Amino acid sequence: MTTRFDRRSVLKLGGGLLAASALTPITGAFAQSKSINYWHTFTSQSEAAGLESVMALFKAAHPDIAVTPENIPNPEFMAKITAAVVANTRPSVTMVSSERFQDLLAMGALTDITDRVANWERRSDFSDQRFDSITADGKVYGVPGFAFVDWIYYRKDWFEEAGIAVPTTLAELYDAAVKLTDPSANRYGFALRGGPGGQNFIINMMEAFGAKLIQADGSISLDREKAIAGLTFYSDLAKNAAPSSAPNDGFRQIIEGFQTGQTAMVYHHTGSYQDIASKLEPGVQFGTMAVPTGPVNRVARLAYAYNTITKAEDADAAWEWIKFWGEPDAAVAFLEKTGYFPASTTAAADQRIAGNPMYAAASETLGFGIPQPSFPGAAGWAEGTVLPAFQRILIGQATPEQAADEIIAGLAEATQ
Amino acid sequence: MSRVAAASPPPRSVWDSLNPVRLLGELSETRYWMYLLLLPSALLITAVVLYPTVYGFQMSFHEMRLNRPALGTGFVGLKHYARMVSDPIFWTSLVNTAAWVTSSIILEFLVGLIAALALNRNLPGTKVLAVLILIPYFLPNVVAGHMWALMLDPRLGVINDVLVRIGWLESYKAWFADPTTAMGAAIVVEVWHSFPFFTLLIMAGLKGIPADLYKAADIDGAGAFSQLRLITLPMLKTIIAAAVILRVIGLVNSPDLLLILTSGGPGRSTQVLSLYAFQTAYKDFNFGYAGALSVVMFVLLMGFAYIYIRLSKVNQD
Repeated sequence: MTTRFDRRSVLKLGGGLLAASALTPITGAFAQSKSINYWHTFTSQSEAAGLESVMALFKAAHPDIAVTPENIPNPEFMAKITAAVVANTRPSVTMVSSERFQDLLAMGALTDITDRVANWERRSDFSDQRFDSITADGKVYGVPGFAFVDWIYYRKDWFEEAGIAVPTTLAELYDAAVKLTDPSANRYGFALRGGPGGQNFIINMMEAFGAKLIQADGSISLDREKAIAGLTFYSDLAKNAAPSSAPNDGFRQIIEGFQTGQTAMVYHHTGSYQDIASKLEPGVQFGTMAVPTGPVNRVARLAYAYNTITKAEDADAAWEWIKFWGEPDAAVAFLEKTGYFPASTTAAADQRIAGNPMYAAASETLGFGIPQPSFPGAAGWAEGTVLPAFQRILIGQATPEQAADEIIAGLAEATQ
Repeated sequence: MSRVAAASPPPRSVWDSLNPVRLLGELSETRYWMYLLLLPSALLITAVVLYPTVYGFQMSFHEMRLNRPALGTGFVGLKHYARMVSDPIFWTSLVNTAAWVTSSIILEFLVGLIAALALNRNLPGTKVLAVLILIPYFLPNVVAGHMWALMLDPRLGVINDVLVRIGWLESYKAWFADPTTAMGAAIVVEVWHSFPFFTLLIMAGLKGIPADLYKAADIDGAGAFSQLRLITLPMLKTIIAAAVILRVIGLVNSPDLLLILTSGGPGRSTQVLSLYAFQTAYKDFNFGYAGALSVVMFVLLMGFAYIYIRLSKVNQD
């Protein structure tokens, strides 16, 4: 049998194929008509699991919007976003931490979403203070996705064994750390982050001793004597109660040190809760405490990771994604996988959080926590001047006085 | 009459005088043809190499702080270069760069040479070994950096464990937290990662040395070291010169390994120029000053390459 193709049958076949090919993308588009990409800095397994949970909930609620997450490691984040802004290859949505806001705003990376936020049905779930760190000149540039609530993890079993009460002041924390230190047993009282990412803790300590960075009139400066007091306290803590690796210890090292039983306390935020709970038993082996008060101020950062729209073309779909993080179910799902606290007060009041004693310290911190000081050049100054200057004290190359002078000179240069 | 007709070309029609193929054919017989052939490459090089280089130079004479748009992008002359002279971090970085590059190059060359000579003996298994020895070079710097950071970790690092077990260390050491060992430890990682580059090039060079030279040297009673000094190294001179220049450029310009291992710390003990330029650009967003730092690196590299080629007398061969 032979098949015969005449002109008419070929035309019919061609027409049919053309119609089919034209329909295929349309039917696909009905299923998922918008596509956005999301730049974030999540790195740990628990964070990845948390993001996956939120995405699954979002997909169920918005099947028409496809979100492609793209991980940008924290150390490379500013380089990548700067290049994307300059080359105009911006992502649709970008996660922005509060200390990076001013730099990104200054380079024109962010979109004003004041009207969208004002008309958002969940706006009342968030106090005005939640938006402070993402607002400039009355314009809002992002929505808080989740909170970084500073607190301290401590080895409950070791504290009980040594008969030490949970510290309420930095002086008590110092004493407890020194008491729990025994280098011959490779045990240290405090996991001090003197390496990458440690700069903000140094600033916190200076502020706890009275050296506030942003003055009441909005000017930026540091009181030398108070800064010296903060640096002296923190470097003494490092010398007398932290492992010798402190000058190079970053996030991984301080968390591993605590997980493996090398250190008794670690100062971090709630986002590392699940990582620690995967190795130590909550409430038995470790507990959580609010950051103790310093001689002048009680400084625990209550910062937010904001989701911002960075590409105007995808703004509607991007808005759906960034406001979804404020849904209580999404916020609680993210907390359950990571430990990151919800930014929404409605979600924070959920029984799954309020009823868990391990989160009591975080709830307490919501009452007194303050945002990270932010101004253009803050992140660069903190990382490029404050951290190396403090490291120089730790390795014996500078005194706290010399380091304070270096920090103050660097601040003047960064803000001039 | 017929001779006159043969000497004069027939008059051209209008089409002939406009025919592009014919015009192109005529042009191909002039001295301008070679320039025309070079034009696409010249345009490409201008776009890909010259423009960014000139832009980098131009940036170094302008104010360009992305997070301070109010300052504008005006011409500031030699402001950034003047700042550099009184910038202690620049001078520390310059000294560290010299130490980092010199130590790494010498060690990479020595290890690479030894490996190449061993692999060139054609003993059983050397082909497999030649492939295995190249593995570090295939690893991206980021992977190699994180891998070594874990192996040298003061809590879980296998190297610390081995050194304690064999009695070389009393307890685990935080190699990257101590200013006296941080640079050395980073150089070890760099040498491990890049010595195969020398091995590869030197092995290729060794294959080109006539065996007769070694036979003659044997007959003359030259030992292995004399053969290495008088035959192998002189015959490899050009390859070694090229490899050294390429590696020096790579080492001066790449901050990634140090960025992962130490971020320039502790203090400024491993701060090098490329890392300082990177941090100035992408942490401080001061592209003007970062541009000036890059220009200095560029000039230093050009100077090094010129002097090195003159001293090694490669051009005279």
